[in-house]
Amino acid sequence: MYIDNYLKSRGGFDFTNVQRNEHLFKDIGMKHPGYTKTGTTIVGLCFDGGVVLAADTRATAGSIVADKNCLKLHVLAPNMWCAGAGTAADLQHVTNHMAAKLKLQRLNTGRESRVNEVVTKLCDHLFQYQGNVGCALIIGGVDSIGTHLASIAPNGTYMYHPFYSMGSGSLAALGILEAKFQDGLKYEQAVDLAIEAIEAGIFHDLGSGSNVDVVVLTRGNRPDFRRNIRHYNQRNYLKQVPYKFEIGTTPYFSKLRFNIEKQELNEDELAMIVE
Amino acid sequence: MKISLAKEFDNKAHQPVAHTTSPIVTGASVVALKFRDGVIIGTDTLCSYGSMADFKDVKRIRQISKNTVIAASGDHSDFQEVVRLLGEINTEALQYDDGVSPTPRDYANYLARVQYQRRNKIDPLYLMNVIAGYYNGEQYLGLVDLYGTYIEAKTVTTGFANYFCKAIIANYWREDFSEEEARKILIECFKVVFCRDARAHDRIQISVINKDGVRIEDPIQVETRWDFQKFATKANEKLHTQ
Repeated sequence: MYIDNYLKSRGGFDFTNVQRNEHLFKDIGMKHPGYTKTGTTIVGLCFDGGVVLAADTRATAGSIVADKNCLKLHVLAPNMWCAGAGTAADLQHVTNHMAAKLKLQRLNTGRESRVNEVVTKLCDHLFQYQGNVGCALIIGGVDSIGTHLASIAPNGTYMYHPFYSMGSGSLAALGILEAKFQDGLKYEQAVDLAIEAIEAGIFHDLGSGSNVDVVVLTRGNRPDFRRNIRHYNQRNYLKQVPYKFEIGTTPYFSKLRFNIEKQELNEDELAMIVE
Repeated sequence: MKISLAKEFDNKAHQPVAHTTSPIVTGASVVALKFRDGVIIGTDTLCSYGSMADFKDVKRIRQISKNTVIAASGDHSDFQEVVRLLGEINTEALQYDDGVSPTPRDYANYLARVQYQRRNKIDPLYLMNVIAGYYNGEQYLGLVDLYGTYIEAKTVTTGFANYFCKAIIANYWREDFSEEEARKILIECFKVVFCRDARAHDRIQISVINKDGVRIEDPIQVETRWDFQKFATKANEKLHTQ
């Protein structure tokens, strides 16, 4: 039945699943799948000569921290990175997929990737799934046209910005960005501002935490990726694995020596004094 | 012989009668900070009717006594009722004619009790109240919410300012600031809130309470910048053309 419907459709939107969905919701009582928003703070901002992306490193499953140091900055192309908020699985798969598509396009055209290419591809992909693919992305890149910072919402909206933040900690980060962003920031100022915005998310949003990752993209240079550029409340004491005890750690009363080759047992001289 | 009752009991459990649980004419964020010599509190001057910016020059900071001030976000009619109730306390205290008047904490405590009682009847005064005062050489700043939760704090934010301004205050405010420095932080907070809260207004009113009493200033305009390069070059139009 599906094939018949498919062959009959003449392009445009495909409504073959509408009947099935109605049946599932009404007759079987299936619930609409909810959107799982994982806690995150990601920011991007443009500065004089490039773009900075920054992210926290906490991945949550409900109210449990699933990963204390996950990587939310993904490589799309040598000149384009993206920061992702939303469902971790969707982000990983979609960004890998896009990176592969961009690579193919680079091989086909012989040209460097552009930010608007990946924005188009992502929007087309995400719109098809009407927001059910939980990817909220901030894409930053430098290409032949200039430096760009774009944001993509899970339902396929794109917008270009001078600065932006997404995720559950986005409002905290946006407060800092709105207060302190200016045109013409220098490299280190932009990095410091991005870090401060992520810190706002880490300390004032419960869904974000752990460390800060930053990547800076500029024309003609390799991306400056600083993993865990800031970390807070690190554990100071780490258990020594494997346990190593020096000889003499434990006081002893007597010492017997058994020579395996000669099969001889000797008693050694006097014991250590037990204090 | 069967006694017939005029009204039959039915065994169905009834929901408690809920009165108004959603606000109509609302005020937006309030930000209040303690500083070295007193407390500074600010609100915008807008009351929204849903998503319409209906009343643009509303005094949302009210003086209750010579050393206390109240502001609130939420339903404005409930705010007017609260101001009336606290005024009644003042009147009662005056009638004793002994020069004793309630302290800022007394007002806040009374308000917390009133809010809690109303909440128990599912008929709340839909407000996040902020009470600021200066008594006995000490600054006072308290927050009473619609459930009756009572919190004393050094900085208070309500509404969207909770999300946008907590980081700014944590990073740039200190308890030993002078009035000028605290005012700068307050105005910065309102700039940010106006940029990102769709129900905010760029006209704000500030009030300072210190040992000299209460000073509610005239409303001022908050300046905001919209001319960033990347906004001006309309980058969104380039998507499919380049």
